[in-house]
Amino acid sequence: MTRLRGAPEPKAVPLLHEFSYVAHRSLDELLSFLAHHGDETQVFSGGTDLFVNIRAGLAAPRYVADLKSVSDLHEIAFNEREGLSIGACATVNELIANDTVRDRYAVLRTAAEQLATFQLRNRATVVGNIVTASPCGDMTSPLLCLGTDVVLVSVRGERRVPLGEFITGVKTTQIATDEIVTRVIVGTGRIDAAGGYRKLKRIKGHDLGVVAVALIKSMPAVRVAISSAAPTPVLLPEFGADAPVAEIQASAQAAISPIDDVRCTAEYRRFMVDVYIRRLMEEVPA
Amino acid sequence: MLENTPVAELKNVGRKTDRIDSVVKLTGEATYVSDMTLPGMLYARVKASPHARARIVSIDTSRAQALSGVRAIVTGEELDYRLGLYVVDKAILAKGEVRHFGEAVAAVAADTLEIAKRAVDLIDVEYEELEPVLHPLEALKEDAPLVHPKLGEYSYMEAAFTPKPGTNVANHTKLRKGDTERAFEACEWTIERTYTNPSVQHVPMETHVAIVQWGHDDEVSIWSSAQSPFTLRNLFCTAFGLSHRNVRVQVPYVGGGFGGKAGIGIEPLVAVLSRKAGGRPVKLTATREEEFSLLPCRSQLTYRIKTGVSKDGKILAQELTMYWDSGAYADYAVNVTRASGYSAGGPYDIPNAKVDAYTIYTNKPFGTAYRGFGHVEFFWGLERHMDLVAEAIGMEPLEFRLLNALKPGSTTLTGEKITANTGNIAKCLQTAADSIGYRALTDQEKAREKATGLKIGKAVVGLHKAPAMPPFTATTVILKMNEDATVTANLSLVDYGQGTYTSIAQIIAERLGFPLERVKIAFESDTDRDPYDWQTVASKGLLLSGNAAILAAEDLLKNAYEVAAQALRANTVDLAHDGERIYVKHHPDSAVTFRQLAIGYAFPDGNSIGGPLVGVGRYIAQGLTHLDKETGQGLPALDWTYGAHGMIVEVDRETGEYNVLKVVSVFDVGKVINPDAVRGQAIGGMLQGLGTAVCEGYIYDRKGHLLNPSFTDNKIPTARDLPFEVEAIAIETPQIDGPYGARGVGEHSMIGVAAALGNAIQHATGAQLTHMPIRYEDVWRALGKKEPVDNWITKSPYGSCRSAPEIQKYDC
Amino acid sequence: MRHITVTINGERYERDVAEHRTLLHFLRDDLGLTGTKEGCGAGECGACTIIMDGRAVNSCLVLAMEADGAALETIEGAAAGGELSVIQQAFHDHHAVQCGYCTPGMVMSATDLLRRNPNPSREEIIDGIEGNFCRCTGYQQIIEAIEAAAGATGTAAGKEADHA
Repeated sequence: MTRLRGAPEPKAVPLLHEFSYVAHRSLDELLSFLAHHGDETQVFSGGTDLFVNIRAGLAAPRYVADLKSVSDLHEIAFNEREGLSIGACATVNELIANDTVRDRYAVLRTAAEQLATFQLRNRATVVGNIVTASPCGDMTSPLLCLGTDVVLVSVRGERRVPLGEFITGVKTTQIATDEIVTRVIVGTGRIDAAGGYRKLKRIKGHDLGVVAVALIKSMPAVRVAISSAAPTPVLLPEFGADAPVAEIQASAQAAISPIDDVRCTAEYRRFMVDVYIRRLMEEVPA
Repeated sequence: MLENTPVAELKNVGRKTDRIDSVVKLTGEATYVSDMTLPGMLYARVKASPHARARIVSIDTSRAQALSGVRAIVTGEELDYRLGLYVVDKAILAKGEVRHFGEAVAAVAADTLEIAKRAVDLIDVEYEELEPVLHPLEALKEDAPLVHPKLGEYSYMEAAFTPKPGTNVANHTKLRKGDTERAFEACEWTIERTYTNPSVQHVPMETHVAIVQWGHDDEVSIWSSAQSPFTLRNLFCTAFGLSHRNVRVQVPYVGGGFGGKAGIGIEPLVAVLSRKAGGRPVKLTATREEEFSLLPCRSQLTYRIKTGVSKDGKILAQELTMYWDSGAYADYAVNVTRASGYSAGGPYDIPNAKVDAYTIYTNKPFGTAYRGFGHVEFFWGLERHMDLVAEAIGMEPLEFRLLNALKPGSTTLTGEKITANTGNIAKCLQTAADSIGYRALTDQEKAREKATGLKIGKAVVGLHKAPAMPPFTATTVILKMNEDATVTANLSLVDYGQGTYTSIAQIIAERLGFPLERVKIAFESDTDRDPYDWQTVASKGLLLSGNAAILAAEDLLKNAYEVAAQALRANTVDLAHDGERIYVKHHPDSAVTFRQLAIGYAFPDGNSIGGPLVGVGRYIAQGLTHLDKETGQGLPALDWTYGAHGMIVEVDRETGEYNVLKVVSVFDVGKVINPDAVRGQAIGGMLQGLGTAVCEGYIYDRKGHLLNPSFTDNKIPTARDLPFEVEAIAIETPQIDGPYGARGVGEHSMIGVAAALGNAIQHATGAQLTHMPIRYEDVWRALGKKEPVDNWITKSPYGSCRSAPEIQKYDC
Repeated sequence: MRHITVTINGERYERDVAEHRTLLHFLRDDLGLTGTKEGCGAGECGACTIIMDGRAVNSCLVLAMEADGAALETIEGAAAGGELSVIQQAFHDHHAVQCGYCTPGMVMSATDLLRRNPNPSREEIIDGIEGNFCRCTGYQQIIEAIEAAAGATGTAAGKEADHA
């Protein structure tokens, strides 16, 4: 027998919590606003998490600050030196449509295509998926595999944090109340890596990941990250190209700490992680 | 009805006909109650219980009352009304005790939704938590807490139901046919197993919504997304002690219902808010989350089946025991119990049967009607069991079904004799089997297995259902001729998507001999202006309202002929008509047009006769009886619609994941009135059935909190969940008393789908599944003989839904 | 309250709107454009799908404030000039409508899909409407309607051929 965790969901109502909407034209204006009101402000771009949370009574900000009005946060750009820069307002569908992503960071696209629905991806952003810091975020695992830094800015300045350190727990991150993430940078270290993303869902249609594994082969290394199996997505230590599957699986089992919940048991999550690792090792070309 | 209705050269019935309501829906013009606002309208919100069972110690509304813009607050203590379809057991707002998670304890009407929400947040309710009783088998224990200690004081419909005061049993339906005890002794094999399924939610895309205005002199106007305006009015009037003339129910377009909007729902609550707010109209729209726990669901079922089989594979005896989880209130669950009880054996010939079906109160959201009315739930067990029995006696499952299928001369569990016109279950089974290549894998399928590594399995299941309704179920259609000789029909059957109105229009056009364009069905239903119909449920609408429509058309023609006979100085028997005119058969030029007759015929000198032409068609179910309360014998079935599903699945034997490759659904509909509508019902219902088979279901924690009241964790099928190939086939064995031979098929498409999936998975892999839904993990656990997941009520000692119990030892 | 200007189906609307108002409720409650429906309010069901600056979005998760200056397309504008669009006509012809509550959002998703991809495969059609729940039809007749609409030339002859 297995046990469930978690309390009943709060009652959700139409979006009735009243807040003020702010949209600054420049980053400086926004940052100075946050310096004063950061603790009572939620920053958003796509709003696909924030407005769901407000409706559910999980967030009750006094202000919501729209990042989209800040012009230089939308870009998906690539250069050989820095890598792939994904602006805070770049949507998941924009990522999918990007040629560089398709050609050189294929695993990102594979995972992005499995995120929610088409119309939601038109609003949802890649950065938002990370900042939400959900254990089941579809973008986090592939970004962890590829090696990604998060760029945070505030009136105090800019800092750059590895993604693995940025997410600190279930829906918690290093973001200070006066900070925003302006972009993430996917490095060049694992560019052109072949990769795959496998996600267990309860139906064929859109669903959050009940458990998911991202794997890339960036020779001579294999990198694996796992979602929905621990408080945060987990990146495993790097493996050599000839590492036996069993070794990767053992490492994964040691790193994850899945729970029983309404979606699945911990036991099945553990099992599927092993299956996905083996299958990805077989199907991802070296 | 069939025999005396001309059927040669049908021009409308059976032909491709566009839906009469699709254009207004495609343009967004169709108005649903959720779209409506009225002058001065207030908005309501509900304070819901966070507990499954608790004593209400106090409710303090003073802080809410102080909020500007709050116009009315009501709590249970100030209301002295009881509601109930069959057992009058429900208060409008919880009084003294809350009986399920999500039950309404207070409500607010305010100028805006925002104010109403803030007010609800400011209402302080103090509870004393009590131990809830959550599983129906626990609720049967002698020391179980009573959900309704005053059950003995409630009134109930005595002709049909038997509550047991001092227990949690809201109803016990009994059926005794033949002598099961002796029959079991004569059996070569006796095979017994238990099957379970959880509660599920209907998920109409439009949630429940109502606007009520309680005007002066107790004149009450209700606009509701309801399936059954007259039953709503009747229950409302009974609860409030109002005359039926005081209450007007209007139902515009409705965004789906599937049974969940059949009875009475939020209307009384909205009404008392309106009354308290001085008669201003009040609107309450359920949120998606409220749809799961404020409003009712489909009942959980535990079904124990014991089957005795002769040496040659004939079923000789069955002992069928159903434990229906009513939740906190009896609502429709008692009638689901009754209707399932009398058809619990399926479309098979069972000479000796003993059925005990119990409706059991628990502290959970309550069960109501849902498409199939119990049959989706019990056919899961029944058709899984047919496969188990076939396996146990070493017989091929389809052959076993065909051997035992009802045929002319068989009698049903209630003693009804099957005739050649009842319908043909064997043909449904055979057709489904042929359409999926049941007996072997094709070369293509073998190649697919090889390429994918997945194992393919096929299954065929049978099904039946008769409308669950009182013997006196009735309806009326009124047909009015307009000045230009078009006609407008009024009826109170509600078309909330199933498409019956288009079929009725075809029937009227056919019987009048008019082109379809001249026939209008007035879409909104209005109890002040439209004639009576019992309810829009049970797949009885096409048969009863279709017959009433034929009679209305005939009445209108009769009235027209009488006036034409005077105008033409002819005998009515010598008259005939075409689409434009009534003429004398032997002098075809001697004619009068319908246009001339429409509002009364005027002679050239101005003298006039007749008057506006109207036709009235009344129809009441014929020859049905109540069932004997001890033996269950009688005639409850208006008609039986038989059907079968054939399914092909492929299964990953390692992970338990599976794909549904093909589903073929076959129904003996008697006569297809509208081919596209039949197909839409067949495929739509099949996918709804597949949703409940694959993933849907209520999950509770041990305190009775519902853990998945939203689309986040109660998934429903998307376009991607449609099987790769779907097919719908109609068999036409005419129903003698059906309109043009037709019978209903609205619910049947959902029945048996889960069992087809379970059987196909078992045929592919050997996985023994006895609970639905069949999640991938359940298949995996069954294949690995692992301890089943039991999270429908966590840690319940009974395992309301166990996925892989040891297959019962055959009691041979 | 803030003042916004929105173009909807080619017509300009100026209104004062509460800052927490969703675009869906702005359309339905403030402007009376009730063709767009609400099914869940949480971006799961797609009943509220509209096209905003050329992109299909769930209007329940967009603030009205965000639409200031935007061009929106809703179901009310789909039958331009009183004629059903090719997609609407195909839905009509193929019985792709039952209760009708998901229909406006479904039509908007299909419209957006065929603009992006005039000749979608069945798989691509499913991709395009996966975010729109329909509880009645089982999707089959909707998919057939979109296939027919994609095949239609837009001429009467083309529609007839698909119909047959």
